[in-house]
Amino acid sequence: MNPPAAVVLVIEDDAPMRRFLGAALRAQAYRVVEAASAREGLAQAAGRNPGVILLDLGLPDGDGLDLTPRLRAGTRAAIIVISARGREHDKVTALDRGADDYLTKPFGVPELLARVRVALRHAASTGGAMDAPVFEAGQVRVDLVRRRVFRGDVEVHLTPTEYKLLAALVRHAGRVITHRQLLEEVWGANYAGQTHYLRVYMAQLRHKLERDPARPRLLSTEPGVGYRLEER
Amino acid sequence: MSDTTPGEYLRTIAILAAATAFALPFRDHVNTIDVAMLYLLAVVVVATFYRRGPAILASVLAILAFDFVFVPPYYTFGVHDTDYLFTFGVMFVVALLMSGLTTRIREQAREAAERERRTAALYELDQAMTAAATRAEVTAIAERHIGSAGGGDARIVLVDDAGADWPGDGIFEHLAVRITAAWVHDSGEPGGPGTRHCTEAEALICPLRTGVRRLGVVVLAPEPEDRIPSAEEVETVAELARHTADLLDRVSLHERHERARAEVEAERLRSSLLSSLSHDLRTPLGAIEGAASSLREETAVLPADVRHELAGTILEESRRMNRLVSNLLDMVRVESGSLTVQKSWQPLEEVLGVVLIRLDEALREHPVALHLPPELPLVPIDEILVEQVFVNLLENAARYTPPGTPLEVRAKETDDSVLVEVSDHGPGLPPGQEEMVFHKFFQGDGTRAAGGAGLGLTICRGIVTAHGGRIWAAPRDGGGAAFRFTLPLGGPPPGPVPTAAES
Repeated sequence: MNPPAAVVLVIEDDAPMRRFLGAALRAQAYRVVEAASAREGLAQAAGRNPGVILLDLGLPDGDGLDLTPRLRAGTRAAIIVISARGREHDKVTALDRGADDYLTKPFGVPELLARVRVALRHAASTGGAMDAPVFEAGQVRVDLVRRRVFRGDVEVHLTPTEYKLLAALVRHAGRVITHRQLLEEVWGANYAGQTHYLRVYMAQLRHKLERDPARPRLLSTEPGVGYRLEER
Repeated sequence: MSDTTPGEYLRTIAILAAATAFALPFRDHVNTIDVAMLYLLAVVVVATFYRRGPAILASVLAILAFDFVFVPPYYTFGVHDTDYLFTFGVMFVVALLMSGLTTRIREQAREAAERERRTAALYELDQAMTAAATRAEVTAIAERHIGSAGGGDARIVLVDDAGADWPGDGIFEHLAVRITAAWVHDSGEPGGPGTRHCTEAEALICPLRTGVRRLGVVVLAPEPEDRIPSAEEVETVAELARHTADLLDRVSLHERHERARAEVEAERLRSSLLSSLSHDLRTPLGAIEGAASSLREETAVLPADVRHELAGTILEESRRMNRLVSNLLDMVRVESGSLTVQKSWQPLEEVLGVVLIRLDEALREHPVALHLPPELPLVPIDEILVEQVFVNLLENAARYTPPGTPLEVRAKETDDSVLVEVSDHGPGLPPGQEEMVFHKFFQGDGTRAAGGAGLGLTICRGIVTAHGGRIWAAPRDGGGAAFRFTLPLGGPPPGPVPTAAES
């Protein structure tokens, strides 16, 4: 699709996992660079100019968490961390230290490819002037220029805070945003601890935008981490 | 026992004088033997109410007065008729026998009362001990009872047989008490004030012994400090101490027994875990290996749909293994007490949203109806853990109920918590298993086929308990099973969410 094909750097110590990631990505015509250790990963990240870095947080020779800010400092690639269930705290730390998204082991190929696609698109648009002025997913359309929101053909009336929250999610569409990031963007840095604000407003948004607020298809919860606006 | 007062002797003399004065007017009208009977009566009266000393005095006085006043020649101690000598002898012997008898009866009555008191104290101790299950409980109760029975402040010090290490605080600050305690522990005899040994110590000390086993000592600091316990009190305390020692022995035997039982139980669980593990892990592994090797070796000859099916098997079985391993890991966290609950206030709806999306596939055959009242408050929970509770309950419900039957989740606010119910329209739990289902590795009928390891509900209980709540099973009204749990609303409530300037 995008010539030349994007480079994906896989930093993973487990060989079978590396093989699986490599095979799945090469099948989609990405160029894959593999690294089995943090040291090797740092070197490759500097030399190969990857678009996306898949980073396992459980590396033997250096905690993936420590590696995240060093990678962030040295590259413009999107960083997707890979971690096990139950290590939500690690994920939040990695995201707050500059990672862009995460995958929870075990995951399937469709999930992996979706994350990589979103990451590449965001990496490409970071330097760009403007994101698309209209966001559309499922029934919901958000006009970022006129600040209007529609569900199907019907305009949905949002409060200013609800709109700010939705707009923040749209800016990160497809990617996870941590509670802290959202609170800082919508309410300001002093409110980073007030997660219940966020939960109450998310519930309100869901009741206005989702067909079944208890089974959200658009405004996903990432338990223990944050939220994700799905792009479908 | 020999503390007869001078008053008793004076009263004895008075009684004899009264008897003499009473009989004197009748001296010439009645038989002399009848007068002797009157004196005998006086002697018996004295012997009954006083002790041996006054009784002997009474019999001597009676003989002298009888002889002097009533036996001719009057007012001399001479005796004309030698028959009276025999009368004197009989009077003396009767007086002695009577006094001995009454003294003994009185002594026995006193002892009986003492025994009764001691028995009552023992009985009370026993009554109080019925609920005691540990050495600490026995010790505390015994200290209270021995203290009140012995009139002071009792303290039990348990020492192992090897080396006595006496405390140095309280009454043990006194060197004499420490020395006496050591001596009592070694000798097995009471020591301290009121006993025959170490009377200079500041406390009465009795041994705690059963047969040859030495458990420690009871130290009774009398109140007030310088009071010397009576012989009865010493005996009572010693008796209670013996009894306490027996109880301690029994309790520690029981404790050892309990420990051994727990070890056996743990061993049983371990082997059960191993067999469960080897079965539940090997089965999907076998399927995965079989499917993968077919795919690799026979790709060329396999039709596309079979290849697809084999890949599906690998996927499904890996997911099953993943579920099992997650359950085992959760179990380990629950069991090891390393379950850290990171609570934050949030709506249950959000947690359930995650659960329903995650279980989309597992719940395809079971529509889930949510009944969450709009006024339901935010709940302080660890979302990841509570999510797991819902996942386990709903997965179980889907597994044990016929396809197509609905599931329900409802919640309501109670006084200080939110009550959640997950119910189904299946066959319900067999009566009597409502509690057992929460036990580790408990498997309902046909569970093996359903692929459970018997951990889900145990994990649920661990998580709910860690939140300070309760979880239990009950029949659902109208058939099916209902699992209910509470999530306390305690802790500092969240600040109000600003809605000002919003429209």
